[in-house]
Amino acid sequence: MEEAKKAASIALRDVTYRYSIGTPFEKAALENVSLEFEGGIITGLMGHTGSGKSTIAQLLNGLLKPTEGQVLLDGRDIWEDPKKISAVRFRVGLVFQYPEYQLFEETVLRDIAYGPGNMGLSQEEINRRVADAARFAGVTPDLFEKSPFELSGGQKRRVAIAGVMAMDPEILVLDEPAAGLDPRGRKEILGGIRAYQREKKNTIIIISHSMEDMAVYADKLMVLDHGHVSRYGTAHDIFCHAEELKQVGLSRPQITKFIMELQKAGIPVESGIYTVDSAYREVLRIFKEKERG
Amino acid sequence: MSNYIIEAENLCFSYKSEDGTALPVIKNLTFGIEAGSFVAILGHNGSGKSTLAKLCNMILTPDSGKLRVGGVDVTDENLTEDDIYNLRRKIGMVFQNPDNQLVATIVEEDIAFGPENLGIAPGEIRRRVDDALRAVNMTEFARHSPSQLSGGQKQRIAIAGIIAMLPDCIIFDESTAMLDPIGRAEVMETIERLNREKGITVLLITHYMDEALRADRVMVMNRGELFLDDTPRRVFSQVDKLKSVGLDVPQVTDLVNRLRTEAGFAIPADILHSAEAVEILAKLYHEIGGKH
Repeated sequence: MEEAKKAASIALRDVTYRYSIGTPFEKAALENVSLEFEGGIITGLMGHTGSGKSTIAQLLNGLLKPTEGQVLLDGRDIWEDPKKISAVRFRVGLVFQYPEYQLFEETVLRDIAYGPGNMGLSQEEINRRVADAARFAGVTPDLFEKSPFELSGGQKRRVAIAGVMAMDPEILVLDEPAAGLDPRGRKEILGGIRAYQREKKNTIIIISHSMEDMAVYADKLMVLDHGHVSRYGTAHDIFCHAEELKQVGLSRPQITKFIMELQKAGIPVESGIYTVDSAYREVLRIFKEKERG
Repeated sequence: MSNYIIEAENLCFSYKSEDGTALPVIKNLTFGIEAGSFVAILGHNGSGKSTLAKLCNMILTPDSGKLRVGGVDVTDENLTEDDIYNLRRKIGMVFQNPDNQLVATIVEEDIAFGPENLGIAPGEIRRRVDDALRAVNMTEFARHSPSQLSGGQKQRIAIAGIIAMLPDCIIFDESTAMLDPIGRAEVMETIERLNREKGITVLLITHYMDEALRADRVMVMNRGELFLDDTPRRVFSQVDKLKSVGLDVPQVTDLVNRLRTEAGFAIPADILHSAEAVEILAKLYHEIGGKH
């Protein structure tokens, strides 16, 4: 029997990336960075504005070429043969910030099918992928024949995400997929991305500023500070370093701060609470425990 | 005379689609914004928040209904272009993206851009620019290039550019949406200070419930209509109603509400701030056992 395919991992090894080389504006966005995104999980990539998150996203799918160092996809340098870089872009999908401005086809369905349509797949396979991706991204069939320009901002965002999901990339990188959406829209998009990952068991990297969201939707978190990894681990590993987070321009979820306040007020709740759900369970547990005596 | 800086009466606005059908976005809206107040506007995507902002700023013209800015009816056909220009100066607007609101290569030149276009004398411009920089705590960055600034700093410069035109009111259209937590905190702190110290009326359009908590009043839009309009305390105590229109409540409010409705905790429905919630939970906790 064929062994289950292991999810792809992707890494930067000693990568430096400089902008505007040879001009007075030359600037290193990343300097000698090494990091690895584990295969088969969702990693939340977090950091202040200018910490290098978006540069990393573009390096991962070969949109930018490192000035020095290597990008390793399953251990192989993606720039080994620069002529084959477009094949890398099929394997590593990238959803930009505000991708809704990048729709261009006449219908929603054709927009989602555009990526897989360029991969030399059978029509049957394309249809299957498009239907799958639309489902995960929350694009309902009643929208399929509409023009993307008739849709609301939130709907366009879903179509753009579906278009990249339909390419079935081994690694999917999304830059702030929920930015600017209302709370329900955020939950639907992030929940859809997670359901997609759980089914495909592929590797997903979500760039986000929201500690609250990443505490719920990411398996591991990576915190960047001025182009370097300042911390990597589970929500617990990250959020117990409050001072350090503050220094790199991030903060703990509101609910985590609240739980600490409860501790100070003499309610012996456990630390390590990062979501409203777990806070609810913990408060109930501690009250019941005291009631039992 | 009313003390309203913005006053709308049966305001209606529709976008026209390609085939000529009208898509109503603002439906018969009536409200007043008191001068000097801090009002948050919430609503799902497509609820009409940004359209409302553009009507108040006179980027868009209402289809019907009345809109008065500083007591002047902006739909009055006798208004000259100069009148409109003057009204528009009173209502400044700060947008979402920190990267496309700055035009100059030096921070202080960017701030001077508005007053220069108003034909203000150079000495007065200098004074206003310095004052605006102080108001947003960015004086030390006067000679920097905007490209060297963080997102939060860029937004503060965009705000300074508005302040230099001496507005009565500033509308923030999701101005913190693209910022990291520190940038958001900087901008929110600046907004509150302008409201408190300079008496500038603030209309804050946002998807962040914790930002709306800080306002005097919260207006919730739903499908072009005013769905709720009350103090933050009264609005956020209606958790189910807010969730029914795609919104949320701050995390602590959410937790306290679940403890009250699902687990039967004796907590008032209108707990708003963390400190209140800590106090009541601590009281309940320490009472356990004491009663038996």
